[in-house]
Amino acid sequence: MEIVFDKVGAVAVAAVPVEELDASNAGEFKRDVAPLLEANTKLVLDLSRLRFVDSSGLGAFISCLRKLNAKGGELKLCGMSKQVRAVFELVRMHRVFDICATSEEAVGAFEPKAS
Amino acid sequence: MVTPQPPALDVSASALRESIERHARYSLAQPWESLSVRQIFECVSLALRDLMVDRRLATERRYRQADAKQLYYVSIEYLLGRMLVNNLSNLGLYDLCRETLRQMGASLEVVEECEPDAALGNGGLGRLAACFLDSLATLDMPSYGYGINYEYGLFRQDIDDGYQKEKPDNWLAFGTPWEIERPDEACLVPLYGRIEDGVDRSGQYNPMWLDWQLLIGVPHDVPVVGYGGRTVNLLRLFSARSSREFDMQIFNAGDYLRAVEQKIASETISKVLYPSDAVLPGQELRLVQEYFLVACTLRDIVGRYQRDHGTFDAFPTKVAIHLNDTHPALAVAELMRILVDERDLPWDRAWDMTQSTMGYTNHTLLPEALEKWPVSLLERVVPRHLQIIYEINRRFLEHVASVWPGDNDRLQRMSLIEAGAPEQVRMAHLSIVGSHSINGVSVLHSRLVQTTLARDFHDLWPERFSNKTNGVTPRRWLMQANQPLARLITKTIGGDWIDDLDRLRALEPYASDGAFRQEFLAVKRSNKERLARVIAETTSVTVDPDSLFDVQVKRIHEYKRQLLNVMQIVLEYLHLVEDGIQPTVPRTYVFAGKAAPGYWAAKQIIKVICNVGAIVNNDPRVKGQLKVVFIPDFRVSLAEKIIPGADLSEQISTAGSEASGTGNMKLAMNGALTIGTLDGANIEILEAVGAENIFIFGLTAEQIQAWRDAGSYRPRDLAQGDPRLRRIFDAFTSDRFCPKEPGLFRWISESIFDRGDAYFHVADLPAYIDAQHRVAKAFEQPATWASKAILNVARIGRFSSDRTIGEYARDVWGIASMREPAARR
Repeated sequence: MEIVFDKVGAVAVAAVPVEELDASNAGEFKRDVAPLLEANTKLVLDLSRLRFVDSSGLGAFISCLRKLNAKGGELKLCGMSKQVRAVFELVRMHRVFDICATSEEAVGAFEPKAS
Repeated sequence: MVTPQPPALDVSASALRESIERHARYSLAQPWESLSVRQIFECVSLALRDLMVDRRLATERRYRQADAKQLYYVSIEYLLGRMLVNNLSNLGLYDLCRETLRQMGASLEVVEECEPDAALGNGGLGRLAACFLDSLATLDMPSYGYGINYEYGLFRQDIDDGYQKEKPDNWLAFGTPWEIERPDEACLVPLYGRIEDGVDRSGQYNPMWLDWQLLIGVPHDVPVVGYGGRTVNLLRLFSARSSREFDMQIFNAGDYLRAVEQKIASETISKVLYPSDAVLPGQELRLVQEYFLVACTLRDIVGRYQRDHGTFDAFPTKVAIHLNDTHPALAVAELMRILVDERDLPWDRAWDMTQSTMGYTNHTLLPEALEKWPVSLLERVVPRHLQIIYEINRRFLEHVASVWPGDNDRLQRMSLIEAGAPEQVRMAHLSIVGSHSINGVSVLHSRLVQTTLARDFHDLWPERFSNKTNGVTPRRWLMQANQPLARLITKTIGGDWIDDLDRLRALEPYASDGAFRQEFLAVKRSNKERLARVIAETTSVTVDPDSLFDVQVKRIHEYKRQLLNVMQIVLEYLHLVEDGIQPTVPRTYVFAGKAAPGYWAAKQIIKVICNVGAIVNNDPRVKGQLKVVFIPDFRVSLAEKIIPGADLSEQISTAGSEASGTGNMKLAMNGALTIGTLDGANIEILEAVGAENIFIFGLTAEQIQAWRDAGSYRPRDLAQGDPRLRRIFDAFTSDRFCPKEPGLFRWISESIFDRGDAYFHVADLPAYIDAQHRVAKAFEQPATWASKAILNVARIGRFSSDRTIGEYARDVWGIASMREPAARR
């Protein structure tokens, strides 16, 4: 799947390009997001299009998080629909991921402004 | 007027007719003239449902405006029966509908007979839940029922040469007009998978549930209208759906059939009711059903609470959750999981809320019916919940150890986890520890819960234990099932008894009124004639409505002792054909009830009854003095025909084994006299109706326990010493009742003499025979008998489920009636 991304300063903002991330396409997602994980240490995944995620989809996000953390990087998620958020909460993933409402907020969260 | 009714709603005959015709045209797309009876049933029901939906919306508005505390009653079973007549009667529209249909060329009596029973339950526990829903709505109590929308209810029972044959009960084959599907409110249920230990963003321990599968729970709402139509509550039943239409990975790989199979496997979860009232150890699907019910229910409850409340501070003051037996016990762990995992509440606060919210009713002391699940199975199906149960247990046992230092035996007895192979989770302990209230369902049963089953817990928290004696709804079991008696009562004392059953007391003076007694006996006679027709239609046996109708209808189980009844019948038969001793009064023994398909002894009991019936009914020497019939396929709608026609109610369980019984209440409410042991609610019925109006016999629970403790019960010796008993057992072993299958009934002697007669048949049989003689003597005097029967009806008020619900509402749930002031009496 084609994963389009923008760079905002040092942060890469990529949109998950599917409505459903499950056993049928989670492997493909992991493969196609890998170059982004290698090239960046600060990544925002925008889940605005996503309507359904199963345990394979969640596993793909965990894999992203671990790869980035392993090299000292960070992952933030944003744009989660209510349904997708409910699945994260169901299995305590909302405590593991940094979840922001919008991509702007997520980008800002990497470099908090001095007050 | 056909039946006493509340003031009719503001619905005209023309409006009702218009609505029925509209549904024929636009819901069924058929002209009225071409409809089958079933389709007419559907149109009438849909027209009625429209009226109930209007009232449901008004009820919901009333509850929300008041921000009323809600009860959520969670039960794996609801034995609802038919709903059309119940709904019509409670709305006060029965007569109007009957007349409207008559004008449209249809008969309500014919239409109501085509409705399938909603048999989403096995027996007493499920029927109790249904009676409670009726009372909650009648008392205008804010509440929901939660259950599973089984596609197949309790099996249909055919009797083939005396053997029970089970047939599937596809009650939803044509759909049901009563359910409203709510796919937009579907909820997600994860199950299976594993827990991976990890840390969250702040470095705290964070167990992650991985590799789970997802189910979807789709709610179906059944409106429950209370008497008078003021309040319509909901019973919410969940159907399981696959999370995706197909597993796309499998589908894309080209294996279409496997994808379909996986979808079917997910939906199997709500496919069929387990046909047993005892626990089935190790049945994974049953555990998944219990978890599915709990997960859907708790998500719904928490979601509804959060819709109107910002924080969880008020949760225990707005929500009461009741566990109808241990089947929904995982609710304790699920609520903790939601509060701690999803809503980030500290453990202690979440635990306080959980305990303050939950109440638990125990329904049985039978060891085989106490639910336990292997730890390994829970770990596979609900790994996160098992972690939570372990943590609950760790903290609980710490507390126990602080109260009784060094008492390791007590720690082992009270632990939620039973050591052994396999290790098991005790669901009753989980329910007790997670609840602020624990109750039994009759005075005797509650006492036994406190002194035997949960003695250690009672020592720890005596204030949490109470009794709530069961009750039955007088709307279904008297007003609807026995319309002639309901009419007579209302004509005599007015109609206020229907939602205030203690008012039946006003009938007491009429017990000595000759004219009233005559009318009462005439009503009983008409009900017996109806029952005789049912018997003829279902068994092809002709019975005499003037004979004493001696009725034992309930699940078939050794502890309920249908066999004791048969033994007494055999003796009476032998007296008649061998000794020439005529029975004091002619009798018709009526049995009905289902045996769990895997319960060999129970199925054999049915065979014994049928074979004894075949011999007795066809022996010319009997000359109609005795008849024995087994009516197949006992269910709510059949009970509604049998109970009003009963003269004598058999409640003869081994003392200490029946938690309460509710058939005993229904039968007494309909003017049957009880012959019974001092078991369950029989004891309270005795207190209510008076010793002179009931036939009590047999050992007490304490006497039986003493014999068991001493190991001194010798049934063989007892039988040897009593020629009557010897004669009975000789008759069974002689193949007299199974000439075509020699040896078939030898198991009776083996069970009684070789395996110790676990249910004390021999010990109680002489007293039972004597009690039956007293019954016969009393029945010889119709006026005296009628007086006793009238006093049973007059004094049965405390066994209304309205009284039970009032006690739960006051003592356990903390909910209040939300009746509009203008509607108060």
